[in-house]
Parts: sequence; structure tokens; C-alpha cells
Amino acid sequence: MKTNENTPLTKHDLFRANWRWLWTSQLSWNYEKMMAPGYFYTVLPFLRRFYPQDDELVEMMQMHNQFFNTNAFTGPFIIGMDLAIENRKGYAAKDTVAGIKTGLMGPLASVGDTIFGVIIPTIFGSIGAYMGLKGSPIGAILWLMVNLIIFVLRFAILPLGFYQGQKLLESAEGKLNLVTDSAILLGLTVVGALIPTVITAHVPFVFQAGKVTLHLQTVLNQIMPSLVPALLVALVYWLLGKKHVTATKVILFVLVLGIVLSYCHILG
Amino acid sequence: MTTWWQIILLSALAFWMIIDQLTVCWISNPLCIGMISGLIMGNLQTGLIVGAALQLMVLGVSTYGGASMPNFLTGAIIGTVYAIGANKGTQFAIGLAVPAGLLMVQLDVLARFTNTIFQKRIDRFITQNKPQATGRNAYLGLFTWGISRSLPVFVLLIVVNRIIKNVLATVPTWLTNGLKVSGGILPVVGIAILLRYLPTKKYFSYLLIGFIAAAYLKLPMLGVALLGLALALLNYQRKQAQSQTSNSHNTEYENEAGEYEN
Repeated sequence: MKTNENTPLTKHDLFRANWRWLWTSQLSWNYEKMMAPGYFYTVLPFLRRFYPQDDELVEMMQMHNQFFNTNAFTGPFIIGMDLAIENRKGYAAKDTVAGIKTGLMGPLASVGDTIFGVIIPTIFGSIGAYMGLKGSPIGAILWLMVNLIIFVLRFAILPLGFYQGQKLLESAEGKLNLVTDSAILLGLTVVGALIPTVITAHVPFVFQAGKVTLHLQTVLNQIMPSLVPALLVALVYWLLGKKHVTATKVILFVLVLGIVLSYCHILG
Repeated sequence: MTTWWQIILLSALAFWMIIDQLTVCWISNPLCIGMISGLIMGNLQTGLIVGAALQLMVLGVSTYGGASMPNFLTGAIIGTVYAIGANKGTQFAIGLAVPAGLLMVQLDVLARFTNTIFQKRIDRFITQNKPQATGRNAYLGLFTWGISRSLPVFVLLIVVNRIIKNVLATVPTWLTNGLKVSGGILPVVGIAILLRYLPTKKYFSYLLIGFIAAAYLKLPMLGVALLGLALALLNYQRKQAQSQTSNSHNTEYENEAGEYEN
């Protein structure tokens, strides 16, 4: 019987896979199979190398054209594992690879989305926006540098999947959760500071009774500085917990709320 | 107002920003896009301020699993041009950029939908065993995405040039004032969405620490970030020590896994 051993993949091969994924993972993203075209395009040259027989090639192409969706940053881990397995086992690994793809895309998406989609934009977006509101580009440039560093580090994830595979994902999960947890805590501290600094809500209302004039804003400040911004955040946070309330509806609500409150001279 | 080469550059920026967001992720945030738009318009500060305000609104909004989010990248370009052209203040421009960004969501949906055509072609070419042709369809989405952003920016900027002065002359004062107030309080949305996404109830005390540091102690943002970093490191060390002691008592894996569940 003919063995399925292929010539081992080189570092250059792994880089090539990374490069193809980087550019195409989401370019033909569609509602039907989401990232499937990107994954398919990434592994295509390897499929052609691994499966010289036409019937096998078509079947493997079909398998890699199934629904796939994960985080673009952490997804290469799956590709790395996939290539390692297919390189060694070939067509016999078809079901294994299909299982790994569907099994890992969820967990890797949640780790990647939290770190790259939320935590990093929160920390650097907050600092950058805070400086930007004051007219300083330093925060924005800092974020740009961070993005470039992340861009370089991204290339390490695919080889990691290739060399370490499943074993690593299991042992790293505890540690990764701990890092994510601590990053979330840092993010929340920064968000807490954002509330009083970036929300502008001045209350121009003035009580007048005889000779006594009372500026409502001064009274509010004595209760708590930035009371109005804090209350507004609490209100919107509460609204977002309701059913059928989307981000778009809330934005429109706040837009109208601002106009109404300004018209009634409560905010200005 | 806007010259033809500025319109071309801004449209090119709009084309690249969505491709950037889908691939390399260098500049695809409202803050950077605002800054670059400001540079193109020759007014860096205004671009930064508009971009920063929009950045605050998308803090917690991210595209997961293919959901479309308000397109504040386009909003940052349009808002910057409005702010510089209309000369009615940045908060007013932000108030206009927000509805523009909300409308653009429909084009995002359209692009994602149009890409299904390429998917159908890939499906067909695979059964015909034409790998080259299938591969091509995996990156043709470049144009659907790019045009979905650059075309509206191009049209809006041409329209802005023509009619902005007439339109702005007819906007009543209560509306311009109202939009200014809205622009000031809109960051609330981004912050609240973010708080919904993060495990805020579990870590409420840290939110409070950040608030106190800024509202009462007037600590600048970088200072607060360093404070948060210190707290995060403490948390990391404490939890790690905990997991080590619990591991020495019990070498089972489940213990560690259960400990860090959110």
C-alpha cells in the first residue's frame, strides 16, 4: 500500500499560508459560508500538492469549502494544525480535519474577539480618544504602533498551531483565561475613568426664588462630580439589557434625547 | 472648500479602510481615520477630535460572527469634512456623522450579501475541479467591500461641496444646539455597550476605582491606565498563586479550569 507521507512543510510554506490567510480570510466573507472562501484559498496550494489524484482533490476542496468562521487573528492556529495533520496523514485525515476546524473555531474566536476585538481597542482607544479630544495625536500614533507590533506577532500563531497542535491549546487554556481576566480588569478601570472625562453634560438650569439663585450644576457637583454622565451610562446600560434593544436603536435614542434635553434647557 | 484631489484621497482612504479592517488592521479605527482625514483636509486637530468622539461610541461595538456595526469609519471621514467645511463646531459635526454612520450599515449588509455570488461560483468551480478559478473568487470580494465604502464617501463629498452651505443656512438653532448636546453625550453608548460585553458585575469595584481616580483625583488617562495595569498584575499574581496551591492539594485538571470561568 502506498504511504501518504508528503515532503515536510518548510518555514517558507507556513509563511505562505499565513500570508494568504492574512489577505483573504475575510475578503469574500459572505452570509452563506462566512470565512470559507478565505480558508479554502489559504490551503489551496497545499491541497494541490498533497492530493495529486483528482477525485481526492475535489473531495478535500469540498471539505475545506464548508462553513467556517473564527477570529482572523487566532484562526491561523487551526490552519497550522490542519496542515500538520494533512501533511502526515493525507486523505485519511479528512474527517479529523473537518472535526478540528468546527471544534476549534468557536473557542479560538472567543479568545481572539475578547483580546483583539475588545480589550486592546478599549485600552488604546480610550487613551487615544482622551488625547485626541484634547487635540493631541500621540494616543492615536501609540495605537498605530501597537497595531504594527500585533501585526508582526500574528505571524507566530500559525507555526504555533503547526508545531504544538492540540496539546498546547489544552495546557494554555488556564493561563490564557487568567491573562484575559486580568486584561478585562485593566480595561474596566480605564472605562471607569472615561465616564467623567469624555462625556460632556453640562446642566445650565438655574433656580430663582426672590434674591436666591441656585445653579443646579453646582448642587449636582456637591453630590458627586460627573453625576449626570454616570447616570446616563447607568440608564443606557439598563436599556441595553432589555429585549429587542440594539446598539443602533440606543444610538438614535441618545441622539434624540440630547436634542430634547437641549430644547428643554436641561442640558446645554 | 474640498478640492478634487482631497475628494479622491478621501475616497481612496475609504476604500482602503475597510480592506485594512478585514486584513492587516493597522488604521481601521475611527480615531486614526479621523486623524488621517484631518491631515488630508489640512486640519489635524479637528480630524482628531471628531475621530476621538466617534471612537468612544464604538468602544464596545465590534463585528462578531458577521454582525454589521454602525460604520463610524465612514462617519469619521464625513464628520471631519463637515466640521471643517461647515465651521459650526466639532460637536455639531459629530451629531451629523452619527446618522451618516448608521445609514452606511445598509451598505455593509449589501457587500456581505453580494459576496454570496463569489461563494456560489467557488461551489461550482470545485465540482468542476478548476482550482485556479476557485482561488480567484476568494479575493474578488476586494471590490465589493471597497466600493461599498468609497462610493458613498465620494458621492457625499461631492454633494457636500454643492449644497452644504444652503442646507446649513436652513437648519434651525434648536437643532444645531441639540446636535451639539447629543455629540457631547453620545460616548455614553459606547461605554455602556462595552460594560454590557465585559463581566462588569463581577469586577464592578475596578470600574469604580477608575471613576474615582478620574472624577475626584483628576488623574490623567495614562495614570489611570497604569493604575489599572498594577491592579491587573496583582490579580494575575494572586490568582496564579491560588491555582498553584490548589494544584498541590489536588492534581486534577478540572480544578484549574473551573477557577477561571467567567
